[in-house]
Amino acid sequence: MKKLSKEEVLHVAHLARINLEDEEIERYANDLGKLLEDIDKIKDIKGYDDEMMISPVEYNSDLRPDVEGKMLDYKTAMKNVPHSTGNFVEVPVMLNE
Amino acid sequence: MSNYKTTVGIEVHAELKTKTKIFSDSANHYGKMANTCTNVIDLGYPGTLPTMNEEVIHLGLRAALVLNCEINKHMHFDRKNYFYPDNPKNYQITQNRTPIGVNGYVEIDTENGKKKIRIHDIHIEEDTCKSIHADKKSMLDYNRAGVPLVEIVTEADMNSAEEAVKYLEKLRELLLYADVSDCKIEEGSMRCDCNVSVSKTDKLNTKVEVKNIGSISNVGVAIKYEEERQIALYEKGETFKEQTRRFDDKTMSTILMRVKETGNDYRYFPEPDIPFVDLTDEYIKETKENLPMSAEQRREVYKEAGINDINVEKIIQNRNISDYLNKFIKKINLVIASNLLLGDIAAYLNKTEMNLDQTKLTDEKFEDVVNYLDSGKINSKIFKEILDDVMESNDSIDKILDNHNIKQMGEDEVIDIINTVIENNPQSVQDYKNGNERAIKFLMGQIMKETKGNANPQMVTDKLTELLNK
Amino acid sequence: MSNYLDLSIKEINNLLKSKKIKPIDLVEEAFDRIEKSSSLNCFITLNKEAALKQAKELEDKEVDNLFFGIPIAIKDNICTKGLRTTCASKMLENFEPIYDATVIEKINEKHMIIIGKTNMDEFAMGSCSKTSYFGAPRNPWNESKITGGSSGGSAACVSGRLTPIALGSDTGGSIRQPSSFCGVVGLKPTYGRVSRFGLIAYGSSLDQIGPITRNVEENAELLNIICGKDEKDLTSAKRDSEDFTRLIGKDIKGMKIAVPNYFVSDIVSKEVLDVFNKTVETLRNLGCTVDYIDMKYLENVVTIYQIITMAEASGNLARFDGVKYGYSYPNPKDLEELYTKTRQLGFGDTVKKRIMVGSFILSGENAKIYYDKALSIRDDIKKSFDMAFEKYDFVIGPVVTSEAYDLDEEFPDPSKSFMDDVLVMPVNMAGLPGLSLPVGFSPNHLPIGLHVMAPRFEEAKLYQFGAFLEKELNLNLDPRGDKNE
Repeated sequence: MKKLSKEEVLHVAHLARINLEDEEIERYANDLGKLLEDIDKIKDIKGYDDEMMISPVEYNSDLRPDVEGKMLDYKTAMKNVPHSTGNFVEVPVMLNE
Repeated sequence: MSNYKTTVGIEVHAELKTKTKIFSDSANHYGKMANTCTNVIDLGYPGTLPTMNEEVIHLGLRAALVLNCEINKHMHFDRKNYFYPDNPKNYQITQNRTPIGVNGYVEIDTENGKKKIRIHDIHIEEDTCKSIHADKKSMLDYNRAGVPLVEIVTEADMNSAEEAVKYLEKLRELLLYADVSDCKIEEGSMRCDCNVSVSKTDKLNTKVEVKNIGSISNVGVAIKYEEERQIALYEKGETFKEQTRRFDDKTMSTILMRVKETGNDYRYFPEPDIPFVDLTDEYIKETKENLPMSAEQRREVYKEAGINDINVEKIIQNRNISDYLNKFIKKINLVIASNLLLGDIAAYLNKTEMNLDQTKLTDEKFEDVVNYLDSGKINSKIFKEILDDVMESNDSIDKILDNHNIKQMGEDEVIDIINTVIENNPQSVQDYKNGNERAIKFLMGQIMKETKGNANPQMVTDKLTELLNK
Repeated sequence: MSNYLDLSIKEINNLLKSKKIKPIDLVEEAFDRIEKSSSLNCFITLNKEAALKQAKELEDKEVDNLFFGIPIAIKDNICTKGLRTTCASKMLENFEPIYDATVIEKINEKHMIIIGKTNMDEFAMGSCSKTSYFGAPRNPWNESKITGGSSGGSAACVSGRLTPIALGSDTGGSIRQPSSFCGVVGLKPTYGRVSRFGLIAYGSSLDQIGPITRNVEENAELLNIICGKDEKDLTSAKRDSEDFTRLIGKDIKGMKIAVPNYFVSDIVSKEVLDVFNKTVETLRNLGCTVDYIDMKYLENVVTIYQIITMAEASGNLARFDGVKYGYSYPNPKDLEELYTKTRQLGFGDTVKKRIMVGSFILSGENAKIYYDKALSIRDDIKKSFDMAFEKYDFVIGPVVTSEAYDLDEEFPDPSKSFMDDVLVMPVNMAGLPGLSLPVGFSPNHLPIGLHVMAPRFEEAKLYQFGAFLEKELNLNLDPRGDKNE
């Protein structure tokens, strides 16, 4: 059975923004390897046509008129926010800007 | 130094002038109290789904048309996945595979004549939250989350700071006059990122992305700064990695933000929550036919009407004046009208800090004033005298003139008086015809006495001369 | 305590109309049953106080529809304003939505009474509800057995007669498979039939909310209420209004039925196959023709399904980051730690694995190799169903490959939970309606279901077929035995 290297596990964990302890890395190396082995089976499928089906929907998007609707009052908007300052949602400083 | 060639590509984000957001019906308002223009969709609540604002499609299509793009009639949206706090769902809904427009161009004037800057694509997407940064914390305002944007991406077709500035000025003019966007850089409704590289050969060197440039002229400054910085490094034999820098308007320089990692991994995939949006040929045709008059078309009309080039550009710089003037095309003398709008009326508005629509100047009053000036019924001195009343009172121009005791006579009335004076003074007429120039002054004096000073002297001179020479 | 909840909804409705009972009698009875069957662990959150209050308020109102005052259970991935909605995850352990899902608005309009939020697999990822942060629910037929999943709590709740009706959601069998294990009727409607607004997304292009009930007719009646075009969901379908019960009672004689050979191949256990074969015999006796056919790509469905759901889920679950709602890692040293520790500690194992693989699937060139190709084959799967439906009224098969297995049984293979749904996933791929109908029992007296698939938007025909067969089989589907006697 396929097993991922530590680096590979850490790479996909980074993509999904999930921290892993050493013990988890070891465990996930096997499970992820199995799942990747599963999805790799798609490489063997032949004879299909290229047309893609994004969704079963066969109708177009309905367009909404540009008319203002009901908005949340500030208190409701902030109800579930874990950290806030004044009117703002607060996060640790964003370094990329 | 001069043997380096500069290459510039530009990405512009422009917010669309809609009433509501792209995927939700909360208000698209600038400058409201933080987090008061949101709903569950803008906040990225679990379980919420996007809806599609028809005006966004309409304005996006307009933008694509004025940029001469081929239109993707069978459009889909895609998810662009990246984790960042200003991105509420941690994916942005954008158009990756089927941007609304591709393969367009913008034409600019350069020293060497016209040049086409190719547009790689224009796509529709949602804006992010606005963030404010303190020492250890950043603060997020979701009012901007979901505001509709178009992103316009050029090919790397510009070769100087001047060309880049010209492109942006032209682009701004196109979007502004198509009523697509306010294009207010200072409010962030138009944002420019530039990719700059310099090379001695035709092979492109490492590019540097410059973000956060707060004005079009600073784009020029930033590009010039980058040219010099990069050339200096190459001349020292140094190289550098692809990077993102930000423009600092205090030092007028660029500052390193981050070195780019090996290719961005945005993990795009088609947005399953938004079915296809199809643009029919009729819809595209109709949108094209109903495009607002472009700046270029306006220039032509104004020049044809005899307005001088300087004033034409002044008008185009001010969309409100241009729109106002356009109401009177083929109705009144546009030269006089534009002189008033750029001169006395502009000064008045400036002084009172008002907009035209806040004054009492009606279309009818404006037409009268221009026509009176045109016919000589009043002169510019009189106009200055009555200006405040024209702008502030509900009275008609005739009433205002009355109130000021200004009874400028109409042409017909004046001609009647001239004819009477000519009839009553045959000797003076004969003297004039014999070459006595002083005779005309006497006749003028007689006419002015008859009109009690209520006739335009220039008109009287012109008409009198005309009638005497008949 | 009374036994009103054993009556049909029509009978309850008549009692309410004639004022012989009040809604509060039903609500109190439901909570009494839930308390007595607490070992089933069907609910994550009970709505007792609000439900009793609502029942009281309804006493002054006219009984204006069939579902007036009827207790209903809601799967815990459907947002209920002010009522905790956890997705069976630590991530949303204390999450109170600030809005109602569209289906909840419809349920409230009809004055149904929400009894509570049902247990499920975390974020609907799993096939036996064991990935729930709140512990697995138990099968009312045998409490040492699984309920199936991910809508395990909803299926067990209806099966155990705690509430007569429930809502589930189905991405790759999550209504039909637990319905089969628990001996109840579950429908996965046509994609677009029911609004997804307020359903916390797993695989957006596959998810669909559907009814779980004790019998076919009540299922159709509940679909009548929850279906319909929703302006808040662009993928919901605009359809003429119809009564899904309208064909119930009509004969199914002459109907043409196809059985894909793969659905009766060696992947299916003997106890299931025996019941299925017997059902085929019954159908033939009722005048239906049953043909065995080959359908392309069915053996690849699990692979395609894995790719599409994990990719979509990696995007859908990205929003749980500790910033706006839900679990937030305390005192993170920086932004990265807020993200990575919130998601490490907030999500369970299965969820983490699937979104990691999903991120991998979409990463760089992989998107083409896996995701685009999966969408292409998905289109072929849909087309092969379209072709089958040109000749046949229905495609049928077993719902699950085996009877409900032991709750304690551990499967180290992370693919096992996908394999459990191999027979029901194709319907989600193609966007078709699928009905899970109890048709018999295994030698261990565990229910075995029949899966009936119809062309898109042909739910009324599914119900006609299901109701006719249900009547013919006349099974006792009450796990408590003959309580009524």
